[in-house]
Amino acid sequence: MFNRRRFLKTTLATTALGLLPRHAFAADWAAVEAAAKGQTVYFNAWAGADTINAYIAWAGGEVEKRFGVKVEHVKITDTAEVVKRVRDEVAAGKQQGSVDLVWINGENFRAMKQEKLLFGPFAESLPNFALVDVEGKPTTRQDFSEAVDGFESPWGMAQFTFFGDGAKVAKPPRSMVELAAFAKANPGRVTYTAPPDFYGTTFLKQALFEQTPDKSKIYQPADAGTAGMLTTDLFASFLDDFHKSLWRDGKQFPKTQAEVTQMVADGELLVGLTFNPNEPANLVAAGTLPATTIAWQHEKGTIGNTHFVAIPVNATAQAGAQVFANFLLSPEAQARKHDLKVWGDPTVLAVSKLSGDAAKLFMATAVPGAVSLPGPAVLEPHASWVGALEKAWLERYGRG
Amino acid sequence: MAGDETQVETGVDVTRLIALLLCLPVTLLLVLPLALSLLFILPSLVDANGFAALLDHPQFWGSLRLTLFTGITSTALALLLALLVVALGATSASQTAPLLAMPHLAFAIGLGFLIAPTGLLARLIAGLFTGWTEPPPWQTVQDANGLGLTVALVLKETPFIVWAILSVLNRDDVKQAFAGQRRVARSLGHGEFAIWLKVLLPQILPRIMWPLVAVFSYGMTVVDMALVIGPGQPPTLANLIWTDLNDGEVLANQRGAAGVLILTGMIFALLAVAGVGVSGMQAALHRFYAAPARGIASTGMTFPLWTVFRLVYFAVLLVVALQSISGIWPFPNLLADQFTLKAWFRLMQDGGPLLTSFILALTATIAAVLACIIWFETTPAKLDRIVLVACGLSLCLPPLLIGLGQYRLFLHVGLTGTAFGLFMAHALPVTAYVFVMLHGPYRGFDPRWRAVSDGLAAPSRNFFFAVKLPLLKAPLLAAAGVGFAVSIAQFVPAQLMASGRFSTLPMEAVTLASGSNRALLAAYGLALMVLPLLAFLLASHFGKPRWSAR
Repeated sequence: MFNRRRFLKTTLATTALGLLPRHAFAADWAAVEAAAKGQTVYFNAWAGADTINAYIAWAGGEVEKRFGVKVEHVKITDTAEVVKRVRDEVAAGKQQGSVDLVWINGENFRAMKQEKLLFGPFAESLPNFALVDVEGKPTTRQDFSEAVDGFESPWGMAQFTFFGDGAKVAKPPRSMVELAAFAKANPGRVTYTAPPDFYGTTFLKQALFEQTPDKSKIYQPADAGTAGMLTTDLFASFLDDFHKSLWRDGKQFPKTQAEVTQMVADGELLVGLTFNPNEPANLVAAGTLPATTIAWQHEKGTIGNTHFVAIPVNATAQAGAQVFANFLLSPEAQARKHDLKVWGDPTVLAVSKLSGDAAKLFMATAVPGAVSLPGPAVLEPHASWVGALEKAWLERYGRG
Repeated sequence: MAGDETQVETGVDVTRLIALLLCLPVTLLLVLPLALSLLFILPSLVDANGFAALLDHPQFWGSLRLTLFTGITSTALALLLALLVVALGATSASQTAPLLAMPHLAFAIGLGFLIAPTGLLARLIAGLFTGWTEPPPWQTVQDANGLGLTVALVLKETPFIVWAILSVLNRDDVKQAFAGQRRVARSLGHGEFAIWLKVLLPQILPRIMWPLVAVFSYGMTVVDMALVIGPGQPPTLANLIWTDLNDGEVLANQRGAAGVLILTGMIFALLAVAGVGVSGMQAALHRFYAAPARGIASTGMTFPLWTVFRLVYFAVLLVVALQSISGIWPFPNLLADQFTLKAWFRLMQDGGPLLTSFILALTATIAAVLACIIWFETTPAKLDRIVLVACGLSLCLPPLLIGLGQYRLFLHVGLTGTAFGLFMAHALPVTAYVFVMLHGPYRGFDPRWRAVSDGLAAPSRNFFFAVKLPLLKAPLLAAAGVGFAVSIAQFVPAQLMASGRFSTLPMEAVTLASGSNRALLAAYGLALMVLPLLAFLLASHFGKPRWSAR
């Protein structure tokens, strides 16, 4: 059946497709590189760690040298600010937006993708995407429970990891229950960051994962019954008691993970937390933490995921942003990021797909502060749990 | 230097047009953006969703309690201490300038380095007395009750109130009147303390009402300082709002806007209550004033209270400087393992924030001073009232309110994230301060100078440049110094307007305050302190009369 109306629709659609500025998509890579020349990419990225800021500065310098793309690191504390800014700009009809590239994953990605605030799909057309380990690291295509669909480009791998001074933490707690016992034995020397800080929320997800008898529930969307389940499984049976032996009696919480790390370095706290398994080793190398530092993961596994970069739909330098995203995926940039002395962020690439020389860059050597007691990576709960956890936590513990 | 000669010959319309044009600078920098910003707030007034969500926020009541406590306590204590400082005699208004010049944020950062569990104070105690090997469990900063924030506010606001009181006392008319009243009271047998309490204080307080309102409003709404030294669970109401305004969810943004309105309304309500309270107490106060003298006995108490303040500020400056050049600094060592200029190299290398802050402060100050001069030279004094109202609003309304309106306005016209938008966000408060500071000297300028000049048939221009400017040099430079300091300290409007495209010193410092590079935070803190201080020193140096024989 091919009526006139349908014909019209199809024609219009194909015409519209033809009118799309093709150079803006990654398909024709040489054109993208040409368009990118001279552009300035405003890269909005969490700026809580010096090592990361320094790496971004290096990568920006390289793409300026090689592709004539200037990168400005817009230092932010919470990616939600960027979601808000892009939404406001798009709502106000601002075409030349202030964000060209954003470091993102999880709930923020889900919000931006569902509200159609993202440019793409572009990620899988980036030339270097072919090297990504999509089989071995499925989270490069599945961000929490949201399909990536090429709307963000993978940048690095993360797994929740704990660390401390081995001289003070003789037997690292390998589960939440053991951590609670450790805190009881060392009152005031353990804490976590207050959600909605990324690390605090992950700590809660980890606790939820360990405390929930029926784990399949946390991979389904949080619903009306969720609050009740959190109260019984997480709060009443675990956190209420755990908080009593935390820093500041569990009444106040540090705002950021960097504060926690600083307090571990000062000796005010005994256990630190990170999403980058190599961060403790990196901090030992930088002299911030002592050489006796140890890192560990929980026996039954800890939350793991991938972090990405995405381009807002109203980005001014869309071509430049793609060139930068592609460079971030290059073996050279990934290897440098992987280097403990630089940042120590695990790669998203399949090292087996790389040539011998490139693969050698990723060889790990035993260094002080490296994860000595690893656990398997556990998938992120459904993204809707983030909001549910944060809200319920605030209601129970945020009132002061 | 308006065309008063041309007025006779040219048509009225042209004169009117010129007069209108000459009003424009102040109008465009201050009055119009402020009015439009407030207009853009209005939609939130009828946004029931926002208010419902705010009342439903689990932290709302806790935040409110905290804000009331820190705001009221800090204002009351600062007033009390300021009165004590002045009553115990020993300072002049000019002595307060270096203390006033230190931005609140920088002061909070420095105070933190001093009193935090890993601060210099704890290290001193550990080294000298207790032998702690781990930081003590002190709840001195980010404590649940906001005591750290309150202490920081008190220490920072007291010098401002001292300055306000001394400015009143140093006015020639007040000085004379007070001296006479003091003699009368003494003859009636009242002691020095009683004279202060019964005669001088009731006359001083009404005259420092506006500075007090500004202090109170500031204490209730400060964001940057509370982010550094205030509690988190719950945070102050201003910080709860700040988080909401920057949130990724629309409902949270609405909730934040509702919070801004509630906070503003609450400040007005409390001020009204205070006003009613004071007038209700009049009768009781009069009975107290009328009580017979108890004798001449002066307390004779002297206590170098002002010196304590100067010492605290000096210690803050010192610890920030020390921290900025410290490498790894394990507890409880009194000094760092090694000293390094790494943080300073980083600050210079990142250059942007320092340069942006400096250029913004310079341009905003110059624009504001020029605009105000043009206004005072050309616009009839009766129109001052409109601008003064705008100044009062921009100094006493929460920056959160003005900043949010400004953000919406500038987003509407596509100016967020532009250098011009950022400039305007800084120029508004700067113009307000400069106008207020120049209003007195300019409108009070002795007309006899002009009469002499006219008698000598000197052209207006010559009179302006050769006589008036030199005579007004000190107030002009002082106003410029304050304007510069005000610009450097802007956080809320700047952060909203910058859209991440620009970073200024306070924005960078707030980000660093929740990081782990204390040396870099300290370097930014010190830069924040030094720039306004330099401006003040330059202003007071060049503001000295050339013929001074001192």
